[in-house]
Amino acid sequence: MQRIKQSLSAHRTSLILLLLLTLLLGIAIIVQAFSITLIVNDVFLEGVRFSSIMGWLALLLLALMVRSIADYYSKKIGVRIASAVKKETRAKLLDRYKHQMTNSEEQGLVGEKVSMLLDGVDEMDSFYSQFIPQVMQSAFVPLLTLIIICTQHINSGIILMITAPFIPIFMIVIGIKTQKKSEEKLEQMAAFSGAFLDTLKGLVTLKIFNQTDRKKDELEKSSLGFRDTTMEILKIAFTQSFMLEVISMLSIGLVALEIAFQLVLYDGISFFTAFFVLILVPEFFTALKELGTTFHNGRSSMGATKKVFESFEETISPVEWGVAELPHTDQTPTIALENVSFHYAHSGFSLENINLYCNPNERIAIVGPSGAGKSTLLHLLAGMIGSAQGDIKINNESLANYTEESWLRQVSYISQEPYIFSGTIAENIALGSEKAVDLSEIKLAAEKAGISALIESLPDQYQTCIGEGARGLSSGEKQRIAIARAFIKQPNVVLLDEPTRGLDLQTEKILQQSTKELQQFGTIITIAHRLHTIKDANKIVFLQDGKITGIGTHQELIDSLAAYREMVTIQQGGTEHGSN
Amino acid sequence: MAPIKQLIQFLFMEKKDIFYAVLFGFIAGIASVGLFAASGYLISKAALETPLYALIVLTSTVKLLGFIKAGAKYGERLVSHRATFTILSNLRVNFFEKLEPLVPQVFRKYRSGDILGRVVGDVESLQNFFLRVFYPPIVLVLVFISTIFFTSFYSFSVAMILLVGYFVTTFIIPLLFSIKQMKIKQQVRANRGELSTEVTEYMFGDKELKLFQQSEEKKQALLQHSDAYIQAQNRENMNKVFNQSVTGFITFVTSWFVLALGAYLVANGNLDGIFLAMLVMISLTVFEPMAPMGVFPIYYQESQSAVSRLNDVVEDTEIEIDEGNGKINTTGAPAIRVNNVSFNYFSEWRKTLSDITLKIDSGTKTAIVGASGSGKSTLLQLLIKLQFAEGGRITWNNQKYDEIAAEEIWEQSKVVLQENHFFYGTVQDNLLLANPQVTDKELNSALERVLLSDFALTDHVAERGENLSGGEKQRLAIARALLKQGDLWVLDEPTSSLDAKTEKMILDDIYQSATNDTLLLVSHRINGLEKMDQIIVMEHGRIIEQGSYDALMKQKGYLYEMKQLEQSLLI
Repeated sequence: MQRIKQSLSAHRTSLILLLLLTLLLGIAIIVQAFSITLIVNDVFLEGVRFSSIMGWLALLLLALMVRSIADYYSKKIGVRIASAVKKETRAKLLDRYKHQMTNSEEQGLVGEKVSMLLDGVDEMDSFYSQFIPQVMQSAFVPLLTLIIICTQHINSGIILMITAPFIPIFMIVIGIKTQKKSEEKLEQMAAFSGAFLDTLKGLVTLKIFNQTDRKKDELEKSSLGFRDTTMEILKIAFTQSFMLEVISMLSIGLVALEIAFQLVLYDGISFFTAFFVLILVPEFFTALKELGTTFHNGRSSMGATKKVFESFEETISPVEWGVAELPHTDQTPTIALENVSFHYAHSGFSLENINLYCNPNERIAIVGPSGAGKSTLLHLLAGMIGSAQGDIKINNESLANYTEESWLRQVSYISQEPYIFSGTIAENIALGSEKAVDLSEIKLAAEKAGISALIESLPDQYQTCIGEGARGLSSGEKQRIAIARAFIKQPNVVLLDEPTRGLDLQTEKILQQSTKELQQFGTIITIAHRLHTIKDANKIVFLQDGKITGIGTHQELIDSLAAYREMVTIQQGGTEHGSN
Repeated sequence: MAPIKQLIQFLFMEKKDIFYAVLFGFIAGIASVGLFAASGYLISKAALETPLYALIVLTSTVKLLGFIKAGAKYGERLVSHRATFTILSNLRVNFFEKLEPLVPQVFRKYRSGDILGRVVGDVESLQNFFLRVFYPPIVLVLVFISTIFFTSFYSFSVAMILLVGYFVTTFIIPLLFSIKQMKIKQQVRANRGELSTEVTEYMFGDKELKLFQQSEEKKQALLQHSDAYIQAQNRENMNKVFNQSVTGFITFVTSWFVLALGAYLVANGNLDGIFLAMLVMISLTVFEPMAPMGVFPIYYQESQSAVSRLNDVVEDTEIEIDEGNGKINTTGAPAIRVNNVSFNYFSEWRKTLSDITLKIDSGTKTAIVGASGSGKSTLLQLLIKLQFAEGGRITWNNQKYDEIAAEEIWEQSKVVLQENHFFYGTVQDNLLLANPQVTDKELNSALERVLLSDFALTDHVAERGENLSGGEKQRLAIARALLKQGDLWVLDEPTSSLDAKTEKMILDDIYQSATNDTLLLVSHRINGLEKMDQIIVMEHGRIIEQGSYDALMKQKGYLYEMKQLEQSLLI
């Protein structure tokens, strides 16, 4: 709620303007009723000539114009506020998401964020563009009409003041009575509403088991069940508006009756007043009814708005960077992790007390069961997430003191599923370099990554569009593009997350070869799944449950660490020993 | 227009509800006009010192009309919504029937499962057609004609003014509005598509963007797209607001003309003054039911494009349907021959399968191995006629697949796919899919065989089996296959989420029950395939090696190397 207020306070001038327009609208409604009454009165009872009411007709036309224009502009302001809020919110969300690195296991969360950025923000629209102007109008207009009615004929005013509160009272009574029931129904509805998609998605399974006809009947049944449940909820809403209608009808009837009696029996009021009141009373109730429906409709858009704003409540800890430049030379820097810890808020997983020293041009293999925190460690090294405690030191200087650019310039990260952006193959490979690269360099990198033959067999060669919605690549080919990116970059530090399985033999060989070649540039830290990678490493880091339980060479760990020995032998499907 | 016609035909399945919705809508509309007319008349009458009894009659009429209006409105809403949801149910069943023969061939064109989500979204959006497009104009026209008819008794020219106002607000403005709206909507959709791509790339490629220092640049591009999208939405909203205001203004102006003309006629003695208030009140209320017409063009267009999109899918001639209708005229485990068969997905630029030739003898066990994306699963789908081969031919005991109905093949097959679907319900419901006649005892023993004896038959299964782990889903799918009849086992990586020990136990059990059956297994592991009669190695949609395990190992080719690699893998 606080944030909704905040988001509005930025548009204070617009809101004041909105208020003024609403005031104008209210006045226009009064003037409209007044001049209509006057004209009818003059012509009907006074029998004046047509020419003498022309001025009033002109005033009426003016009031009608003002009413339409005020209505138009107040809605327009709402739309403008909505656009501004949407724009601002999307930018703010992006800023937050930039600092919230997600785990590879949390792909679902990424999907959620995508839909928050698109639909979440879109759904905020009607709250600002419709709800707010409507609330102002519906709250203000009845008040104004009531005041005017009171000044004209106090009895009518009293009738309204007595009957109108019945509307909220009835709403509350009906609401309390039906709340629980409708909540139950809503749950049922949610269960029904997914049934159609569920059935379609299961069509292949259904066909194979020859059950389509049975499911079709079930689909019909569940659809009709959905209908009946929905109808029960709607009945409640319809009853509410029925009662609303009846109350306002009774009230208008009472007013009309009272006025008529006053006119006939006591001559207490003039025809003018009577007719004037009679035109204003429906305006009063129409606005009140609108207020009810506005709140009803506004609930969902308000909910959406709150949901978006709620995501601002989570704390984020952006990675800290300094101002020192890490010189980019051929000399590979030393990397030291000192008592580094990291904690995931979502899963509760943490990496604790990591101590590791990497000499320049060392080959380091990180080994451990899945979920041990291997990729988190790699993310920390890349500077994609910041450690909660401890320090990562590059050349004996804290990583946080360097600029982000100067560190990332030296690092290549090859993940299991490298992301390919929509664009040409050349653009995707050139992503590795911050400088402009010419085609010959790209070709060389592609050749080293073993993908040039495939690229050159395509009609558009390096200009072929890949990525979203364009031509699909196999996971082996994506891997090779990522390797080509690394060759363009020539990094001092290579972080590699070895793919587990499913690669074709050719890519396997290329991966093996190119890591050897990339080694010339500097340090290679690999999350290793292959025995040869492990055996080739100068240092193996064995990770279990977020802690390092052993560092050493393959043989050292086999000899000293039971968990490591078990993993190397048993995980291979029970063959006696892993060497070949 | 054609798609709308199709929809209307649909609506008429619910004639009775439509009739009542229109009837109640009409009564509510007319009662509302009558109510205001009567109260205007009442006041004028009262001003002329009428006898009390006349006033009481009039007042009662006003009240009665009020109740009729409220009641009729309630009835209209109830009936129209019920009709809407019944129609929606009919639509769902209808599109299910239309889509059913196209699955899974439709995935040859639309590779991802998104197409189903789209179909569902479009079908659901059609619920607005009856509620907001079809019947409100009918009610409106009826109420209007009656009102004009009534008004013409008092003043023909006032009736004409109402008619003109009606014509402008119901036809001319919505028409102009919808033309503009259509253009804007297209722009909005295009902008949204672009933004969606940008957002997806930004969020899913976040690591790469950060590491390659492109994050800020991409973010700016994204925000620019967001701005363009918001601007287009802004235009759309403004257009709507403008339309509403213009419509409102025209109705006001119509009332104004009624008043001006009425006053003129009264002043000149051509109309009795007592009717003036009534006529004005009529003109003020008769436009009230006009409000839904403001959204009419929006929903009209939406319905139209939803139907067109749906037709694009269900009437797509590119998607083949099964033309085979013959029965399998042999019994026992099939011998399958594949001769020179190819296959490609429409969206892919390479063939998924090329020149596949294959011999599977009756009762033999065949394993298919290869890298991910090499075409193993697609080949399996061709072998059970889930997709249709391009060129060449496939036979089942010498009977051509083209001539056999796919259902016949499925009848004979025990299939475990990579993605197995589970429905909302219980474990029992999901197992009974395989064979509705099985006893609980048999169901439990099947669960035991897949090492899921801790599952109760009454255990709840969520939509798409979301409450089950990958391994549990695979084992339930195997249990389902175990319960089914047939002589052909078709298993697509059925145990990839299981640990080595469980995998071995379950596969051994399957081999045992399949002694006399033909068995096809796509495997992600080479280990354990020693017992197979034949191994097929695939790469890039081609068979590159085939033979017995021992022969291929001796040959030291691709399979041998895969085996070496597998032995060096630790996960």
